[in-house]
Amino acid sequence: MDKDTLRRLEMLNQLSLTEAQKEDVIAFFEKRDSELSVLEAIDTENTERMVHVMPIMTVVREDVVKKQFAREELQKGAPDTDEGYWCVPRVVE
Amino acid sequence: MRYETVIGLEVHVELATKSKIFCSCSAHSYGSEPNEHVCPACCGMPGMLPVVNKRVVDYGMKAGLMLNCDINRTTTFDKKSYYYPDLPAAYQTTQWFAPVAVNGLVEIETSKGKKNIRIKQIHMEEDAGKLVHDIMEDTTHVDFNRTSVPLIEIVSQPDLSSAEEVEAYLDRLKNLLRYAKVAECEMAHGTMRCDVNLSVRPEGSDKLGVRTEMKNMNSIEAIKRAIDYETARHIDAIENGTEVLVQETRRWDDIKGKSYAMRTKETAGDYRYFPDPNVMPVIIDDDWYEGIKATLPEFPEVKRAKYINEYGLSEYDADRIAQSIALCECFEDACAVSKSAKDAANWMISDVMKTLNNKQMTYDMLTLNGKKLGELILLVTGNKVSRANGKKILVAMFDDETVNPEQYAEENDLILSDNTDLVKKVVGEVIASDPKSVADYKSGKEKALMALFGKCMKELKGNCDPQTLRNILTEEVNKA
Repeated sequence: MDKDTLRRLEMLNQLSLTEAQKEDVIAFFEKRDSELSVLEAIDTENTERMVHVMPIMTVVREDVVKKQFAREELQKGAPDTDEGYWCVPRVVE
Repeated sequence: MRYETVIGLEVHVELATKSKIFCSCSAHSYGSEPNEHVCPACCGMPGMLPVVNKRVVDYGMKAGLMLNCDINRTTTFDKKSYYYPDLPAAYQTTQWFAPVAVNGLVEIETSKGKKNIRIKQIHMEEDAGKLVHDIMEDTTHVDFNRTSVPLIEIVSQPDLSSAEEVEAYLDRLKNLLRYAKVAECEMAHGTMRCDVNLSVRPEGSDKLGVRTEMKNMNSIEAIKRAIDYETARHIDAIENGTEVLVQETRRWDDIKGKSYAMRTKETAGDYRYFPDPNVMPVIIDDDWYEGIKATLPEFPEVKRAKYINEYGLSEYDADRIAQSIALCECFEDACAVSKSAKDAANWMISDVMKTLNNKQMTYDMLTLNGKKLGELILLVTGNKVSRANGKKILVAMFDDETVNPEQYAEENDLILSDNTDLVKKVVGEVIASDPKSVADYKSGKEKALMALFGKCMKELKGNCDPQTLRNILTEEVNKA
């Protein structure tokens, strides 16, 4: 983890870290990197990708429409609504 | 220096399911109030668990098989980080590590001949909602009706090299997916959307140039204009140094005919994909896989060849009918009943397709019962109903699917009369009422007979075999 990578991660996660926090994060990842290098040393060339730790599959549902919730119920906790819309701070310049 | 354009496409197609991909809300919100078809799951409320719509997987597989892909029999969903209010969970549930279909191939045909376009993958994912920006109020209004509507994204390899090839590729995709009845694929309705990845390099070079991605094209014509513009912009930058090309996403403005930078292009790493712990792997067993394979339609070119070689149609007629699976099904059912491919093709092309055009319906919107069309053809070829009245019955069948052609003909007095006494009576009355036309005909004006013929047919309400009427009329006029 270097400063450039951290800057990019800050941007992607929409975070703004202090200098002290940045040093903590870099120190944290340096430690993890050394631990992960042990895993990277394992030869996985002919190993099939495991999709889940349990032999489990999703349930699927039939394509049937059900209307179970009123809009007013769902918008009860919304800070701001207008004519059925949720309102959020403007996201384009 | 000569340059070549390298194009790869990402095509989003809305699947024609009734409900959304992970919840039971309606996937169709045209004309609805904002946020009418939403629930805690598609609103991204904490703690809600997605449940996969089986038909989405069915259609994803079907699309993959139509595009000659390998199907991942264990396919998984992943989370893609996405900070924007049209997806309230702050991630999109999509497929990254094991998409439903991979390694496909689509053959296209252009003025330069045939070419194979490789498909990298098809993945299933949820659509985003719609945002309405209110500049005056400094707010954005959010409508989640479209959130979680099921999509497939078809990602091609960069095998396309011109606007003409892109058009042929998109037409082929539309045709195949409509044949499989998995999607409407109408760009004007937003049920097919296309992003173009484009770069330019010296002809013959194996090194790819700087790639830009273009969004916001709403028609194939707009896509072609955008490709031509972007190709020229890249070449200008390379040759004249007018600007430094950077990897970025650009927005196409079709009115101004220009593309504008939107944002620097994200890499896959920026999306921080990770397996969605809320959706377990989808395992497609043999029964499920074989069941879907059994529902695949014949390919358009197979239908076309069958119509020419087995049904005896001309290439032109076969092409017209094979362009839509709905036309094919109606035609084949009509043939099975009427036992006359030629008559069925004539009715399809002269009447059915014409009626669809008049009603401003696409061919795929045809719901006419082909077996009933076959019954109507038998009524006409068996001289029970005139061709003209047959057309009236067809219009009634379009308007009401329950209409039975023979019953409708009887109830509306459209059965041809075999009562020659009645025909003779009507002919006699018309001759008596129009001595001028009779005189004109006798003086050599052949057209005068047609005028009398028309009057007789009108009096008989079209319910007379034209040849019978012609014979009686000619005989009676000559006697008069």
